[in-house]
Amino acid sequence: MIEAIRTQARNLLENKEVDVIIGYAEGSDSTRTTPVFIRKPEEVSRLIFDPRCINSLPLYLNKRHEYPQKGWKRTGIIAKGCDIRAITQLIAENQLTREEVYIIGVPCDGVVSHFSKWDGRLHDGNQATKCAECDVHTPTDCDFFPGERPEVDRSAPYKVSAPQVLNLMGLNTDKRFDYWRQEFDRCFKCYACREVCPHCSCNICITDRTQPNWVDQAAHTKGVFAWHITRAMHLVGRCTGCGECTRACPMDIQVDLFNQRLKDVVQESFGYKSGYSQDEKPPLITYKTDDSEDFIQ
Amino acid sequence: MSKKIPRHDFEPKIMAFVCKWCTYSGADLAGTSRMDYSPNVRMVRLPCSGRIDPQFLIKTFEQGVDGVIVSGCHPGDCHYNEGNYYARRRNLAFRQLLDFQGIDLGRLEFSWISAAEAIKWTKVIDAFTDRVRALGPHKQYHELIDPYDHYLEAA
Repeated sequence: MIEAIRTQARNLLENKEVDVIIGYAEGSDSTRTTPVFIRKPEEVSRLIFDPRCINSLPLYLNKRHEYPQKGWKRTGIIAKGCDIRAITQLIAENQLTREEVYIIGVPCDGVVSHFSKWDGRLHDGNQATKCAECDVHTPTDCDFFPGERPEVDRSAPYKVSAPQVLNLMGLNTDKRFDYWRQEFDRCFKCYACREVCPHCSCNICITDRTQPNWVDQAAHTKGVFAWHITRAMHLVGRCTGCGECTRACPMDIQVDLFNQRLKDVVQESFGYKSGYSQDEKPPLITYKTDDSEDFIQ
Repeated sequence: MSKKIPRHDFEPKIMAFVCKWCTYSGADLAGTSRMDYSPNVRMVRLPCSGRIDPQFLIKTFEQGVDGVIVSGCHPGDCHYNEGNYYARRRNLAFRQLLDFQGIDLGRLEFSWISAAEAIKWTKVIDAFTDRVRALGPHKQYHELIDPYDHYLEAA
């Protein structure tokens, strides 16, 4: 499989169809992989793909990284099914056009939840939670796919409630607040969750603005609460559930539980599944006159 | 003849974010008609309920307010045609988010109040004040440690 991808990548670079291929390469030790930007045809042998390839590469397609300003007209990207959902969502949000990107889809049987969990093979103990309910093991929309691509029916509503979300929803409100207070007590606001998010698109983040100071810069629990609610609110109906925020968190806070919960809410209330359509508008920038209003007096 | 004013142990602090075309005018009508309603509410006038960013609500809770009301025009009556439809969707999601975070949803109210509904305004405010009073002070945020507290105490 990887040979077919390398050949295709070499052809694309030699024919100047793309300016760069974003993919995965061997990392600093045997459990790690690293994102790599291949610009020369002879370097394509560095490309690899296996269950250690957990980074979400569409991050680099987001306008905030300003890669098109380097004169790159078209970017090739090696993408798992979940990454292609992120790319689709970026296209729906006008972060890029479909012509600007050449998607090399890869079949994926799941990835590990964290590099440190890698022990030579993928099993239930180290698989990422998002992979259990994944319906895009075979990618949806790609320009190149190694081998035959089987048709998969993806019309069913996807199951998003992670077991931890259901556990938390079973608690009463005060217990939930205590849980989050304990979790957020560890947060020291490194903003890794923001930096790895493919959908955090603001050029200047609201937490980097000090006038007016909406989210306190200090890493005390008040400001931490404000930050995580703000982040979740900004991602309503946009998060595709790649789980990168939780993986990147140095303090092991499960910050994507908010996003998981809101994906449930969005699907139930607005019937929207993020990352499956390039044309459908994200739920909060559109409306229906008969939306639910049972919470309104 | 003066009306008897009931005394309570706890007076909740309530913020209302209101649309200036409907709810603010409704509250204005309640005032000019000399209707009684509970004085716990502090109003912030904004152009439209669609202008009410959830960030405002986060900040008010953070600063120790016991309850928040968001109010705007009825669907179809928005001065800007569609602002309140966006507000409705946004607040639906925001409520679920606050619930998941562990804030009692009794502390957050959303209502449609038109410029003619002064009586509805007084009823909503009174009912909400009673509800928040029954819930008690919003301690959860108060008890979070504020790193600047000891500077204030020293001074």
